[in-house]
Amino acid sequence: MIIALLLGTLYGLIIGLIPAAGATTGLVVLFGFMSYFSDPYLGVIFCMAVVAASTTGDTYSGILLGIPGANSAAATMVDGHPLAKQGKATYALTAAITTSTVNGLLWGTLTFALLPWYTKLMMVFGVPEMWAFVMLALACVGFVSNRFWIRSLIAILIGLFLGSIGTDPVTNADRWTFGWEYLGAGIQIMPMVAGLFAFPEILDGWRKKDRTTIPHNTKGQTLDGIKAAWKYRWDSIRGGAIGAFIGFLPGLGGAMGDWMAYGSAVAANPNEEFGNGNIRGVIGSEGANNSQKATSMIPTVLFGIPGASFAAVLMALFMTLGFELGTPDLAYDTRFFDSLTFGFMWATVLVGILCIVFNRYISKISSWPYKYYFPILVVFITWACAQYTGGWEDYAILILCSALGVFCKQYKYSRPALLMAFILAIKVETLTLQLSALYTIDTLMTRPIFIILIITIIAMAALSIRKNKLEYA
Amino acid sequence: MKKLLALCLMAFTTSALADYIFVVPQKPGAGTSQWAAIIAEQLEPFLGEKITIKHIPGARDIPGFNEFHNSLRTSDKIVMVSHGGNGVSFLQENVDYDYNDYDSIGLMNLNIIAGKAIGADMTYPTFAAGSGMVPEAFAMTLLICGPDKTMNYYIACFKDHVTWVNGMSGGERRLAFKRGELNGTRENPAAYKKHVEPNDKAEIWFHHGILQADGSHADDLNYPGFQLEIMFKELYGVEPSGEFYDAYKLVKSFRDGMQKALWVNKGNPNAFVLQNALTAMSQDVDAQIAIEAKVGQYEWKIGADGDAHRDTLMSFITEDALRNLIKFNTEALGLASVYKEELLIKN
Repeated sequence: MIIALLLGTLYGLIIGLIPAAGATTGLVVLFGFMSYFSDPYLGVIFCMAVVAASTTGDTYSGILLGIPGANSAAATMVDGHPLAKQGKATYALTAAITTSTVNGLLWGTLTFALLPWYTKLMMVFGVPEMWAFVMLALACVGFVSNRFWIRSLIAILIGLFLGSIGTDPVTNADRWTFGWEYLGAGIQIMPMVAGLFAFPEILDGWRKKDRTTIPHNTKGQTLDGIKAAWKYRWDSIRGGAIGAFIGFLPGLGGAMGDWMAYGSAVAANPNEEFGNGNIRGVIGSEGANNSQKATSMIPTVLFGIPGASFAAVLMALFMTLGFELGTPDLAYDTRFFDSLTFGFMWATVLVGILCIVFNRYISKISSWPYKYYFPILVVFITWACAQYTGGWEDYAILILCSALGVFCKQYKYSRPALLMAFILAIKVETLTLQLSALYTIDTLMTRPIFIILIITIIAMAALSIRKNKLEYA
Repeated sequence: MKKLLALCLMAFTTSALADYIFVVPQKPGAGTSQWAAIIAEQLEPFLGEKITIKHIPGARDIPGFNEFHNSLRTSDKIVMVSHGGNGVSFLQENVDYDYNDYDSIGLMNLNIIAGKAIGADMTYPTFAAGSGMVPEAFAMTLLICGPDKTMNYYIACFKDHVTWVNGMSGGERRLAFKRGELNGTRENPAAYKKHVEPNDKAEIWFHHGILQADGSHADDLNYPGFQLEIMFKELYGVEPSGEFYDAYKLVKSFRDGMQKALWVNKGNPNAFVLQNALTAMSQDVDAQIAIEAKVGQYEWKIGADGDAHRDTLMSFITEDALRNLIKFNTEALGLASVYKEELLIKN
C-alpha cells in the first residue's frame, strides 16, 4: 500500500513538473502498466496518488518558467511567474503549494466522507445552469486576464473557432478541416497548451540567452509563503470553494475553475494590482487546483460520468482493474472507497511536504541560464504533444499552435482567453443547442440559479471593462 | 525508484516482444478501447502470444479503421477491433474500409436497450441526438406514427413529435435523463444495468432484438416482450413492414449486429489460430464473466459464423433501404449522410 502510494506520488510529481503535461497525460501513459498490479486496490491507490501529485506538481513550471504544467495551471502563472522574476519563486511556490494542499485535504475530506449525499445536489444543475457557468468562465478569463478587452474578445473568437474545428455536432460531418482527415477529431489540447504558452516562453528565454531571474536569496521565503497562505486564507478558501463547485459539475472543471477562482480574487480586491506579482492572485487560483480534482470524483464515482478529462481516463483505468464506476455494487465496496481516499489524501500530504521542503532548491532552476534546460523542456513538451497519434501531424499542429502563441504574446491578445475559449468551444456550442431544444425564455426565467449567473456575467464584464488594469497576454 | 524503473523496463520489454497487435480506432479509455483491452487480456493465455493495443484515434473512429484497410491489414499479425458505430458509418459515410474484404475472427451480436421515464408521454419523446442514435429515431418513429405510411409522412411525424437534442455526450445524456430533461435514453445492455435499471424513476421502453442467422430479429430474453417488432404488433395489430421498416432493420443490424468485432485481412494465415483461441476463451467461464461485465451476456459468433453473420447484414443493403436511410438521416435528423451507390454494386 505504502509502496503504491510512494510510486504514484513520485510519478505524479514528475509528470506534474513537465510543462504542458498533467494528470490526464500521466494517466494515459499508465494503460500498459495496470495488469502489473496483483491487487487491484493498489492500482486505485496508485492512480489517485498520481492525480493528487501531478495536480500539485504542475504549479512549478507555471511559476518558474511561465509555462502552465497543465492547462488548469495557467491562472497561477499570471501572478506567479512575475514573482519568480522578482526572485521570489520559493515564496510563490510555497504559498501556492500550501494553499493547494490545504484545499486538497479540505475538499478531499468533504468529498470522500460525504460522497453518497451529493446525488440530490447534482440534480439541481441542469443544462441552463451549465450553459451559464461556461459563459461565466469565458467572461472571467476574457475580462479579468487582460485590460485590452476587445483583444480578449478577439482571442475568445479565435479560440472558439479553433475549438470548433472537427466534427459538427448536428450533422456529424467534418467541419473546417480543409480536407485534412487528422483534424476531423479536432485540434488536440496538448499542442494547443504547449504552443500557446510553452514555446513562446522558451523562445523568449532563448532569445534573451539569459536566466529567468537573477540569482536570489531564498532564505526565509518558505516561511513567508506559508504565512502568506494563512494571511490570505479567505482568498484560498474562496478559490477552493469555487474550484470544488466547478469540479463537481460534470464536464467543466480544469482551467475553468482556476480562472473563476482567480477572477474572484481580483474582484474581491479591487484596490490591489494584479498581474505583476500579487501573491493573492497565486493563492486565489491555487485554491481551486486540488479541490476541483477531489470533487470531480463525485459525478465520476456516483454516476460513472467523468467530472473532467482526467476522470474519464481514470474511469477507464479502473475498468481495467475491474472496478466499474457508477454501478450500485461498487457503492458497497468499502475497500474501494478507502483506497480512493487513502491514495488521494496521503499523496496530497506527501507531495505537499516534499514540495515545501525542496522548494528552495527546485526554485533555483529559474536562476539557471535557459540554455541549460531548454533542450530538456523541448524534448518533454514535444513528447507530451505526440501522445495523440505520434504521427507527423501532431508535430505540425504543435508548430502552428506555437506560431499562434508567439503572435498572441507579441501583440497582447490574451492567451488564457484563447485557450479557455478553445477548451470550451464545443461545450458552448452543444450546450447552446441543448438549451434551445429543451428550454424557452419563459422556462429559463423560472430558474433562479441561471438568472443569478447571467446577472453575475453582466456585472463582471461591466466592472472589468471600467476598472481592469491587468495586461497579461 | 528502482521498482518504478523495473516496471517501466518490463512494460517496454513486453511491448517489444508483442506478437499480435489489436488496432483500436479510438483513444485509450473509450468504450471499445476498454473492451479490446479486456479481450486482449483474456485471449492471451489461449493464444499463447502477447497482444498489444495500437490506438489510432480520429473523427468518428473512422481514420483508424481506414488505416487498417489501406495499409495495416497486409500484416498477418494485425487484428482490427471495430464497433457498431463503424457499421453505421460504413452505410452512410465515405469510408475506405469494407467488411467484405476481411475474415471475421469473432464478433459479439448485441442488442441496445432504450429506457424511458416512468409515466412520461412517449408519443412526445425528448431524446439525445447523434448518428449513434439513428436506430432509436427509426424505432420511436415506428412506435409513434404507426404502420403503412410514406417516408415523407414518417419524416414529418418525427419532426412533429420528437425533440431531438443535439450535442449531448454519453455522460451528459445519462445525467440529463436522470434529471428529467430527457424522457428517453438508450444504453448497451451492461450500461443499461448500470445507468437505467437502478433508477427508480425509469423503466424499459423498447429494445431492437437480436439478429438471427436467417435475417430475422429475436426477442432478448433479458428483456422479454419489449422488442420493437413485438410492441409494434401489440399496438397496431400488424407486423412492422414496408420501406421505412427496411431502412430501420438495415441500420439497427449494422450497429448492433457488429457491436464489437475482430477482423483480419481476407486469407490471413493466422485467422484459424486466432479463431481457435477465441473459441476456447468464449467457453472459459472466468473469461466470459470478465467480458460480460463490460457488454452484458451475449453470444459470440466466431470464424465462419462471423462471416455468415456479416453476409446476412450485407443482404439487408438494398437500394430502397439505403436511400430511405439517407433520406431520413438528412431530412429528419439533420445528419450529413451520403448515399453510397457502390455498396449496392459490391453487395
